[in-house]
Amino acid sequence: MAFPNGKDDLMNFEVTIRPDEGYYLGGTFVFSVQISPIYPHEAPKVKCKTKVYHPNIDLEGNVCLNILREDWKPVLNVNTVIYGLFHLFTEPNHEDPLNQDAAAVLRDNPKLFESYVRRAMAGGYVGQTFFPRCI
Amino acid sequence: MADSTVQQSRSRDLDKLLLRPGNLVAPTFEPGVQLRDDLQEYARILVIGAGGLGCELLKDLALSGFKNLEVIDMDRIEVTNLNRQFLFRLEDVGKPKAEVAAKRVMERVSGVNIVPHFCRIEDKDIDFYKDFSIIALGLDSVEARSYINAVACGFLEYDSDDNPIEETVKPMVDGGTEGFKGHARVIMPGSTPCFECTIWLFPPQVKFPLCTLAETPRTAAHCIEYAHLIKWDEVHSGKTFDPDDPEHMKWVYTEAVKRAELFGIQGVTYSLTQGVVKNIIPAIASTNAIISAACTLETLKLASGCSKTLGNYLTYNGVEGLHIKVTEFVRDKDCLVCGPGVLIELDTSVTLQRFIDMLEEHPKLLLSKASVRHQATNLYMQSPPVLEEMTRSNLSLPLFELMGKVPKDIVHVTGTANKDDKKTSCLRKLRLVFKGVDAVTDMDMAVGA
Amino acid sequence: MAEPKNKYDRQLRIWGEQGQAALEKASICLLNCGPTGSETLKNLVLGGVGSITVIDGSKVEQGDLGNNFMVDVSCVGQSKAKCVCTFLQELNDAVKAKFIEEYPKALIDSNPSFFSQFTLVVATQLAEDSMVKLDKICREAKVLLIFARSYGLTGFVRISVKEHAVIESKPDHFLEDLRLNNPWPELERFAESIDLNVSDPVAHKHTPYVVILVKMAEEWAKAHGGALPSTRDEKKEFKELLKAGMVAMDEDNYTEATEASFKVFAPRGISTDLQKIIHDGCSEVESNSSDFWVMVAALKEFIANEGGGEVPLEGSIPDMTSSTELYVNLQKIYQEKAEVDFLAIQQRVKNILKRIGRDPDSISKAMIKSFCKNARKLKVCRYRLLEDEFNNPAVSELQKYLTDEEYGVAMGFYILLRAVDRFAANYNSFPGQFEGEMDEDISRLKTTVVGLLTDLGCNGATVTEDLISEMCRFGASELHAVAAFIGGIASQEVIKLITKQFVPMVGTFIFNGIDQRSQLLAL
Repeated sequence: MAFPNGKDDLMNFEVTIRPDEGYYLGGTFVFSVQISPIYPHEAPKVKCKTKVYHPNIDLEGNVCLNILREDWKPVLNVNTVIYGLFHLFTEPNHEDPLNQDAAAVLRDNPKLFESYVRRAMAGGYVGQTFFPRCI
Repeated sequence: MADSTVQQSRSRDLDKLLLRPGNLVAPTFEPGVQLRDDLQEYARILVIGAGGLGCELLKDLALSGFKNLEVIDMDRIEVTNLNRQFLFRLEDVGKPKAEVAAKRVMERVSGVNIVPHFCRIEDKDIDFYKDFSIIALGLDSVEARSYINAVACGFLEYDSDDNPIEETVKPMVDGGTEGFKGHARVIMPGSTPCFECTIWLFPPQVKFPLCTLAETPRTAAHCIEYAHLIKWDEVHSGKTFDPDDPEHMKWVYTEAVKRAELFGIQGVTYSLTQGVVKNIIPAIASTNAIISAACTLETLKLASGCSKTLGNYLTYNGVEGLHIKVTEFVRDKDCLVCGPGVLIELDTSVTLQRFIDMLEEHPKLLLSKASVRHQATNLYMQSPPVLEEMTRSNLSLPLFELMGKVPKDIVHVTGTANKDDKKTSCLRKLRLVFKGVDAVTDMDMAVGA
Repeated sequence: MAEPKNKYDRQLRIWGEQGQAALEKASICLLNCGPTGSETLKNLVLGGVGSITVIDGSKVEQGDLGNNFMVDVSCVGQSKAKCVCTFLQELNDAVKAKFIEEYPKALIDSNPSFFSQFTLVVATQLAEDSMVKLDKICREAKVLLIFARSYGLTGFVRISVKEHAVIESKPDHFLEDLRLNNPWPELERFAESIDLNVSDPVAHKHTPYVVILVKMAEEWAKAHGGALPSTRDEKKEFKELLKAGMVAMDEDNYTEATEASFKVFAPRGISTDLQKIIHDGCSEVESNSSDFWVMVAALKEFIANEGGGEVPLEGSIPDMTSSTELYVNLQKIYQEKAEVDFLAIQQRVKNILKRIGRDPDSISKAMIKSFCKNARKLKVCRYRLLEDEFNNPAVSELQKYLTDEEYGVAMGFYILLRAVDRFAANYNSFPGQFEGEMDEDISRLKTTVVGLLTDLGCNGATVTEDLISEMCRFGASELHAVAAFIGGIASQEVIKLITKQFVPMVGTFIFNGIDQRSQLLAL
């Protein structure tokens, strides 16, 4: 975790996720987290700052994670969110896609998906889109 | 002299309530000319928000015996306000709400003084809010209510038996409406639930899953939110969407229509687009009038004792017939905002480390691995490691110094509590008092005066 | 210019263009423009009613400046009706504002036909005898009427109209019309075309719950001689079957199906409220029946015939987890059935109109459509004449309210609000209206209350001394905050009556400004 605004601003921070298994092993992904003034009444706002080839994260950094939107409950906390993000990398799912191309590839050809992920993380093109290196 | 006869006659109706003894009144009620004059001279009411409720509140208060009013609102007048915010005219569009509202009421009700504040509630010093007898809230957001509630409850002090000290209680009267429904409530910090104690009364806003928007849209609202939340960023890299810019709104509308056509979905209109994107809450004059009147009546009762007080939450629903219900909600004793917290007396020499160790043994807390926050400063954070490192050097310093050598103040601690052999993470409020420090605070001065 | 529509944006979201058009056509008459009347009209003028006529014979006094926002220092000595009217006009230039400087009591006595020109009359601060007279006048002339009065920390609002029928009652929470307990053939066929055991997990978790429930219910019925789950155990078993259909933990559609399974168990047919309406005497229509009752007659025939015990289908479905395609197709199936039902009702309406000698096309298609869509939510509100309420009191209701913990104070105020008029008729002033006669007035009011209770047939019942003393303390004052509250309620009800949307209150609303425990009394 990093706190760009110093130790007293806990409302805006960054979380770095390094998946320890799965397709994204070895990658480093930075998320910005913005806590609402009425947290935990409202979910934190989360964006992925690292451009990633992922079925549930689009190229703008929007993340499809139920607990960030429709399923947020005040009993949840930032740790649950981080756990949820971690889970997205170990088990990306093609059933709730935000990046439809990536989802289709994952569904139809997991091997190809794996190679695309590797290529993107190493810094390179998948289709028309360039992904900066994040290993 | 002539002026005072005019005044008497002017309060013809109100005098019946304020000058005559009553049977169903507050124990503090002391009817008489003095009471009427004191209300005029000393009672100072702050109205927060000069919108649908705020306009009504200002009018109602000005005609309920109050002469010193202030109003704060950061917004400017819009055309869509005119169906209910009766102090504004078409030619006022674009002007600050607080200023126009104050001026209009003063024009019509002579002798009333209203000071407008055209700014955000957060722009004012905390002390600004201290000067008012009662704060009346006419707001439409959970965030703003939560902020004012924290400020008002921040003035509250408890004695050593955890009873609220009367002089530090800042009463709030809060109203809210949506269509034909509304609520009015009285908040007496320390004795009735504060806004935070019952925040669950406000249901969280509905948010659609992003993947539904991206993949399986079914309703017009899905198409609109797709254009608003996903497509906008895709097309306008870096440019933030401004809901008040009609060009931006039109763009979202056009994109939503395209998407709806693509999927065979009906019902996207410009009006719905605005409604969804800006989360517009329908509002009408009559509901605002009802709720503001209830709030004003309670304000008058709080200030004068001329009748019983609402205990403590009124709901109005006019959708099917008419239902008015009063519910007596109870306070959350452990509320972090209005609760007394745990009183701890400390020597000025106690270091932060020693303090954290004490929390582990404190019978009411049994809190291990505590992180400590004082006002907006994190004195010590156990995790994450970056923060631990940044705050570690504080551990060896006396807490008294870290807290700016104040004789007493509130700190918040988070840690792991041991209860019935179960470990749960918890956040607690502590009232720290340093021994032997001359405790002359502003509040004590105010009490003396 | 876009301004006029924009101005009403926040209310158009509640009552729509049609509701707004009804308001803009309405002409409202206000009797007495003290704060109660002025505040009522203020809310209506802001909303954009067509025209207002303010009737008040008094001049503005100093005291009025302390409780009425519509008058200011410059108005003292002038006609109150004129001053209030001028200010109201300032609020909305789309409204035609007129005033007549005359006392309402005199107008009621001398010119009863005057009121027939209005859509609705708001009568404020009237004494009982004038209210009773006006009530009869308006009932005869078919003019909507609403009474409002503020009195110290109490007051009342009472609607008076023979009958108010509502099609668009727009209730907050109302069960969707899905017919999961009684699907029609097209819905069944659509469900049959979908395989619940589809192997693609994406398709599986995007099968709408309506389809899941229709199929499961059909399967159940096949195995149980055509019956749906009815006992507790059967319902539980049905839910277990649903759970067994899941292939993954996160299938929202199956969660939704489980939550909605009670819709399968619900009894078929129409609600008791609707039963009452279709069996109401008015549903036996004749040549002068209202359009509403003609449509109810058609509905009654429909239910007995092609409806098979059900009303026309509403035709809309709520959002649910689904693929876009299945959802849109499902939506179409519901819309098509609703259209078929609508056509059947329309035909019956035409036939009935012909039978009773009216133009078969005199009820618009849009009206019949709206009627079909809202058939389950119809409401009929009826109000007694005040004279009837006063002369033939509902004794058992009165007694029940008087001794009820929740209603006691409101009922006490109801009695007292009537007692003060009797008091005024006897002593030429309201109790406590003037200083110095307090003690005497309290005992006089007490006597008046006892007399009134006896006349109402509530011998032995009492109103508390505290409440009687408070009523004297109020001394007929009109406090601004109370007037704003009562006026707010009155204007809200006016809007419901005129837009014919939502359900107006039935009974007498009694404001309790002491602890805000106001009540609606059905008397």
